[in-house]
Amino acid sequence: MNLDPAQITLVEWGRRFGELKQSGLPEPSYGGPLERHLLDGDFRLAKLKFDNSQAALNLWNFLLTEEDRLYADRLVGRKIIGTMKDLGTIPVMAYSLPDVTAFYPDGTWWAPCVMELSSGVLAVADSLGLDESFCPVRAMLGAFVSKAHFPNPDLLVCSVGATCDDFSAIAQRLNGIGYPILWWEILHRRKPESGDVPVQLPGGFQCTADQVLFVENELLRVKKAIESLAGVAITNDKLTDGIRAANEVRAILRELRRMVFTADVCPLPALEMLVAEMLVIHFCSDRKESVIVLSGLLAEVRRRILLGRGLFGSDAVRVFWVNPVADLRVMNLLEECGGRICGTDYLFCHAFDAIPEDVEPMKALAMMALADPMVGSAGDRSQRICNDIKYFGAEAVVISRIPGASHCATEGPIIADTVREQLGLPVVEIEVPPLADAMLPALNTRLTALIETVKAGRIQV
Amino acid sequence: MIFAGIDAGSRTVKAVLFDADGMKIIGSGIKDQGVRQSDLADSLLNDVIAKAGKSRKDICRVVATGYGRNSIELADTTITEITCHACGVSHWMPEARTVVDIGGQDSKVLRLEVGGRVRDFVMNDRCAAGTGRFLEVVASRLGVRLGDLGEMSVRSDKAAAISSMCVVFAETEIIGLMASGETPENIVAGVQMSITSRISSMAGRDIVEPVIFTGGVALIPGMDKALEKAIDRKVVISREPQLTGALGAAILAARNADGI
Repeated sequence: MNLDPAQITLVEWGRRFGELKQSGLPEPSYGGPLERHLLDGDFRLAKLKFDNSQAALNLWNFLLTEEDRLYADRLVGRKIIGTMKDLGTIPVMAYSLPDVTAFYPDGTWWAPCVMELSSGVLAVADSLGLDESFCPVRAMLGAFVSKAHFPNPDLLVCSVGATCDDFSAIAQRLNGIGYPILWWEILHRRKPESGDVPVQLPGGFQCTADQVLFVENELLRVKKAIESLAGVAITNDKLTDGIRAANEVRAILRELRRMVFTADVCPLPALEMLVAEMLVIHFCSDRKESVIVLSGLLAEVRRRILLGRGLFGSDAVRVFWVNPVADLRVMNLLEECGGRICGTDYLFCHAFDAIPEDVEPMKALAMMALADPMVGSAGDRSQRICNDIKYFGAEAVVISRIPGASHCATEGPIIADTVREQLGLPVVEIEVPPLADAMLPALNTRLTALIETVKAGRIQV
Repeated sequence: MIFAGIDAGSRTVKAVLFDADGMKIIGSGIKDQGVRQSDLADSLLNDVIAKAGKSRKDICRVVATGYGRNSIELADTTITEITCHACGVSHWMPEARTVVDIGGQDSKVLRLEVGGRVRDFVMNDRCAAGTGRFLEVVASRLGVRLGDLGEMSVRSDKAAAISSMCVVFAETEIIGLMASGETPENIVAGVQMSITSRISSMAGRDIVEPVIFTGGVALIPGMDKALEKAIDRKVVISREPQLTGALGAAILAARNADGI
């Protein structure tokens, strides 16, 4: 039962779900009406607009049932690893073993938005001394203490070193209140100098062979800890298979991004693309199912493009978006203002690159970790952003700041200046807190002005 | 043909009637903002139309802009204040390349292309520092009228140092300065410097002259000099600085250009 692409409300999804059921909708185990998540306290859903495809329904249901999967895994005795400050390295290793699940506790940062503060996790973080001057990822701390969002993991792993200062502070606080953490150090990536052996990393950056070796040794410590927990060795063959499987997810997402961002008419809204992209980090706690969900989405996008169907019209302004928003509503807002997403850097764009399969697997993971734009300079990240903007043909850039987040305090202006100087595109910086309702008029003005600026330029050209 | 622009700002509502054939303003008016913005705008526009000797049916099209633009029911369409200020300033000064607009609740810096099109913009609308709101706070704290601040600052012999970039903390500093015997004139001048340094940091390095100053705050004596000092560029106050947004809206109404 295929309809023209549209964005619909939660209530409209209720009606559409009934129609899909009547037409024989095949449902996955986590399927069901989207509205049911309201009963779990996901109140924000009532204010969002969703894509009306069955593939999008599966995506949302997959996302919103992760907690259930984690508790079910605990019941059947699977080992659960929390991989913190990790944008796609340790999960690849963990999912190389059949009875291990990796999840991303940092992802709780969306709980205060999705649950509209009813989760109380921020209040817990406040009580532990991590107030709103810290990144909203402090919600993770509240989730550990309240034990309401995920089971207590069997192993907690966290990268440290060239990572966000505020996240490090939050993780150390977690450690301090009785959650043992296996830390591994990620180095600040540096360009090879005279005498260094250069290594070309996925995504175009370079570092030195010494750096790769250092990170590889750090990852070996984590590997041993996972093996000890699971009672099974992660052999090179297993890890190679794990890398190949992770690359399958990455390849689907690369293709999805290419098709969606370069299509003449937008085939999938920004919100669903954001959720889909997030799956690359830790596969929403089920790697195999994430392949199925993403493949369904890709098939729907292909179908829409083939039929010439899409959303927002062909004159929607093509916007490249930098950094994830704490309030998902803002992704809808961009489209209401006349824009569409054509390229993103949500801080983990390296995770869409294929993990090298022509080197030793542990070395490949180390290279991937060092390819993270966040472990290099803001200038490096800006350059990658400019390359992606050109590739996807974006006409304007939104840099979304995260209140309290301090990956690099000067990064926003550096990215903005680089984009202006190299590409001459208009850039707007916004700040989006977990619940941006009171700021929506101001955000609307900025986004609308950006759209107006691009449209006026089109006419002049 | 006559077109109207309404700028529903945070402190005042402005209306301009623009004669597209003569390319000139034929009427304008300003009213303090209130709760029922749409009614205020309606009544203001009626007054302006009556004073211009016209009737409502002479108005071909109305564009609303400003903070409250979406609540102006009589408008045919809305356009953001970024685009409207650029258009209004370019009408007066086509050579303008940078526009600094400091309003009651927000401030913005627009970079313009040749021809007046917006190339880029930055905007502060979350923090009262860098906006006219800061001046209201200091006027209230010093017990003087907002309109008197300009003359006071001109009499300052040395602007007081206000280091806080947050109005709430700056207010505490002002209390401290008053307690330590600093003159109100120097405090006002210090606040002006604080506002303009905030604008300077927001604008960054890329400030191309001519720089045009608009918004209600541009009318306060001394603000232009404080801005010149902060950004190290010559600053020209726009003609009718409070009306540039409404004028731009009226001109854009005439161009019949929704959203551009």
